[in-house]
Amino acid sequence: MISNFIPGLIMIITSFLLPTIPQYFRHPAMLLSVGLSALSLFNGYGTFLEWDILGLNLILYQSDSLTLPFAIIFHIAAILVIIFSWHSKNLMEHMATLAYAGSAIGALHAGDFFSLFIWWEATALTSVFIVFAGNTNAAKDAAMRYLIIQVSSGVLLLIGACLMLYQTGNHNLAVLDLKTNFGIFIFIAFGIKAAFPLLNGWLQDSYPESSVTGTVALSAFTTKLAIYALARTFPGTDSLIWIGAIMTAFPVFFAVIENDLRRVLSFSLNNQLGFMVVGIGIGTELSLNGTVAHAFVHIIYKALLFMSMGAVLYRAGTTKASELGGLYKYMPFTTIFCIIGAMSISAFPLFSGFVAKSLIMSSLGGMGMVLIYFILFFASAGVLEHSGIKIPYFAFFAHERKNKVKEAPINMLIAMGIAAFLCIAIGVFPKYLYQILPYAVEYQPYTLDHVISQLQLLVFAIIAFLFLVKFKLYPSEIRSTVLNSDWFYRKMLPGIGKPLFKKIGLLTDSLYKNLGLSFKQVLSKSYKFSNLSYIKVTTPSFAGTILISILFIMLVIVLV
Amino acid sequence: MKKNDLKSMGKSFTKYILIIGALLILLDFTFHRHEYFSFAEIYGFPAFFGFVSFVFIVMLGKWLRKFLMRKEDYYDQ
Repeated sequence: MISNFIPGLIMIITSFLLPTIPQYFRHPAMLLSVGLSALSLFNGYGTFLEWDILGLNLILYQSDSLTLPFAIIFHIAAILVIIFSWHSKNLMEHMATLAYAGSAIGALHAGDFFSLFIWWEATALTSVFIVFAGNTNAAKDAAMRYLIIQVSSGVLLLIGACLMLYQTGNHNLAVLDLKTNFGIFIFIAFGIKAAFPLLNGWLQDSYPESSVTGTVALSAFTTKLAIYALARTFPGTDSLIWIGAIMTAFPVFFAVIENDLRRVLSFSLNNQLGFMVVGIGIGTELSLNGTVAHAFVHIIYKALLFMSMGAVLYRAGTTKASELGGLYKYMPFTTIFCIIGAMSISAFPLFSGFVAKSLIMSSLGGMGMVLIYFILFFASAGVLEHSGIKIPYFAFFAHERKNKVKEAPINMLIAMGIAAFLCIAIGVFPKYLYQILPYAVEYQPYTLDHVISQLQLLVFAIIAFLFLVKFKLYPSEIRSTVLNSDWFYRKMLPGIGKPLFKKIGLLTDSLYKNLGLSFKQVLSKSYKFSNLSYIKVTTPSFAGTILISILFIMLVIVLV
Repeated sequence: MKKNDLKSMGKSFTKYILIIGALLILLDFTFHRHEYFSFAEIYGFPAFFGFVSFVFIVMLGKWLRKFLMRKEDYYDQ
């Protein structure tokens, strides 16, 4: 019976029961639900649950060699997040986090686009509460923007799925291309969640506004679900190679000048997704293995880095580089864990990033793609800059700190410790990671050529950093906002739209007033109701005018 | 704890990194490093590439501040 239960669903059910569980037992119950869901990992491959509804056959639970590694790492991430948030009493956030992780796991096992759509929207609707739990005005505004973008992605997916069903009579997950219109809709839907260039604004906007623990949960699921979906439906799509390459290179420059270290990590997350997208674009067995391996290790070290910054936020009250520094004395364990995360993401040999990134680089090298290869090699120096050096340096070193802070709570240290252990264990024993990858490929990351080449790149990039600091060329930390692609809908569109709508509003107001008067006159003449006070023709408000205009435009579009 | 802790840590860190860097370059002369692209097999190429990329990223980022940096309350205005 349990073998037919959709993985993740038990977590969603538990999340709804959480309010009935006493505070003390909530975290154990959450862990238990993840454990029960994880039993599904032993079910093997196949289709386990289908549902015929409204003439559609929905595949609710299927599993294969691509879902398994993602399912394993999503369960691990859920466990890390629960341990990391053990001290917290925020019920809403716990419910949202558990349901969010459950939805993401459910999404992995969907076998058709309609089931995927349901889970796709479920991850959006649950995770928005995590952003909301940041509990500041900025967080609430960011949550609303986040919701709009995420739901739009879902709507595009639904349009794509409907078009596909209409045109081909099929709605099962399959490899698509960009020659069909439904393929393009689905591609953009995935692209929004995978934070493609110019579609990435929501990520850096919302993640850093979330709570100490919330950002850790957010960093794990949404974007990697999109990577999974892209790997399933668009492997070998050439344009992904360039999209991915741009994603690796661009965020690097933004991360250099960003002051909020959790936002720096969000840019860094975007850059890491780029490596995975390139792997999908190449589409060989080796490169797809590389994408999956990279997603797997990335979730762990990115969670570790977000946890260390969460601990800093929890104890020091801020993650702004301009106000931090010198924490190594007071938070030695957090410092060490953060450095392990930093070395993993920078792909130092013996750390997890190295054994995963090598797969993608080797497949690029093997295909002779020299330009992309060096863009990614260049971006690797960028990763070292923002995540390898900037994060630990500005938080824990940089300046002496005047006021004391305490080390992170024990539960946070345990969660960070587990993640740090995994980073090193996977780096030292990569064969266990390689065993669960979708394709059986023999690969040896630790060749002398590889190790020396990577070490030269990293060590000399560190020397460059020391050189820049020594000669005071390294940009100082300044309290500021760095413009990103969310500027288009946060500043530009309102900048054009507000005055425009105001003008339209004034115009229609006067129009309605005139019309209203004449309408009243007509009424009074024909029915002689002029002395009855309850007949009033009101003019619509500004908001009403906008609503009517939008409805009118939609009507026109539908009719056309 | 002493006040110049960070300074002395920075100094010894710099010393060790420079030694490791020098060793890595020397090591390059002892064997033929196979790469996917022949020009990357030049002695010390990854080291040079890493150093230049890093400086380029930081300097370009710094220059981009002119266009991308706004006040902290920019979106609240």
